[in-house]
Amino acid sequence: MDIVGYLRPDGQIGIRNHVAIIYSVHCSMVVAQKLRDLFPVGTQLFGVPSGCGLRQGPFNKVTALGKHSSYAGALVVGLGCEGTDAYMVAEEISKSGKPVEAIKIQDEGGDLKAIEKGSRILVRLLQHASLAERAKMTPGDLIVGQECGGSDATSGLASNPITGAAADLLIDAGGTYMHSETSELLGCADALAARAVSDEVARDIREAIEEAERQSFESGRFSWGYGNILGGLTSIEEKSYGCLSKSGTKPLQGVLRTFERPPRKGYWVQVGEPDSGSFHGDPEGINQFAACGAHLSYFTTGCGSTAGGLIPVIKVIANTHRMQLIEDNADLDATPIIRGEKTIQEMGEELYHLTLQVAAGMLTKSEIYQHYEA
Amino acid sequence: MGNKVILLNVRDDVATALIDLQANDAVTASLDDRIVDVVLTQDIAFGHKVALRNIAKGEEILKYGMPIGRALCDIGVGEWVHVHNCRSHRWGFQNDIYGLQA
Repeated sequence: MDIVGYLRPDGQIGIRNHVAIIYSVHCSMVVAQKLRDLFPVGTQLFGVPSGCGLRQGPFNKVTALGKHSSYAGALVVGLGCEGTDAYMVAEEISKSGKPVEAIKIQDEGGDLKAIEKGSRILVRLLQHASLAERAKMTPGDLIVGQECGGSDATSGLASNPITGAAADLLIDAGGTYMHSETSELLGCADALAARAVSDEVARDIREAIEEAERQSFESGRFSWGYGNILGGLTSIEEKSYGCLSKSGTKPLQGVLRTFERPPRKGYWVQVGEPDSGSFHGDPEGINQFAACGAHLSYFTTGCGSTAGGLIPVIKVIANTHRMQLIEDNADLDATPIIRGEKTIQEMGEELYHLTLQVAAGMLTKSEIYQHYEA
Repeated sequence: MGNKVILLNVRDDVATALIDLQANDAVTASLDDRIVDVVLTQDIAFGHKVALRNIAKGEEILKYGMPIGRALCDIGVGEWVHVHNCRSHRWGFQNDIYGLQA
């Protein structure tokens, strides 16, 4: 299958071609939303959802997202008096070579004038995007994330193992794969350290998981409850290995602690940057993969979460009852595993094939419904 | 309905029920070249585990190819494996708050 992406000035190749509209503070969000509503086709909206002091975490996140390969250009909308200065955000993103412009509502003279100026900028950026140079991609160019949310018993038995099988195929083809959620990997330090490509990486992953274990037990908030036992899980380790099954079997290249693209191909564990400005829900997890350069993300969900994110999401559901209820939001029906009709390997191959189709331009449900949660 | 249990790793000591199963049900756990036929000695609900071999007290029990705990007593093939006869050697105490100490 030919995958023809969009070549960016920094050499990245995107599988989508949008213009980013970025608000640099909560106070400029409404104007940015109105601009998105005026130009809903070909734009995506995100920004700094919090207050006006300059904080490195949110700045790093929105600039990393702005540099994402999906974006041909960006418009930054600021209020004017915030610490996360709109021009600073624009300057950082423009280091990627793509056109970035910024407006400040206070400088323009209020909402209406800012919307008028922003509209003219968006027209230019959208036309620029439509002229993006095309470039062939191989599966080895792809970076894929894995989010797991609204988990149930089928997550560890079917949907997570399927993504692990697809990850192995992707990595065999030279691609890159990442997941996060170290707080769900309690007890997996030995297993992951044994897969590390070096002693240094083994130490890094041990530290990351032991830190998650410490935080979980100190706070008393860890992912283990009586419902898990009723569902058949005997120990925290058993639940964690069900989560870890999404990682596949390939060597661990390293731990990504900041919003940067993986320096090598292969399998990575991403640890969310502290202070990135919002709680960790599933869209936040998916967007953190995007900030690390992921082109698309898997999303395994037993309960049937409908959420998405800024990159295409391939939603995998293995719970038969939930699949019947929420089929409109699913991209891959993994229930044949639970019916004992297909093997994990067979469905992993189906998911890998679907991954290449999505990379080649096939829209996922999250995109069709514009589930661009940010 | 195909297989009634799923085997997640060829090294595993347990398979997981894909439907609610009853005592005396015959099931087949298979993955790659490994095929294990087992007759259940107890009812085993969806999501719960059945022993694929006789497991001696103190042995590690593998699922996903990884140790999920140790056998608290001898466990016979076809038996239900859960908190009453298997316990994490690291965090088993977390089940004590639910009154599940062995």
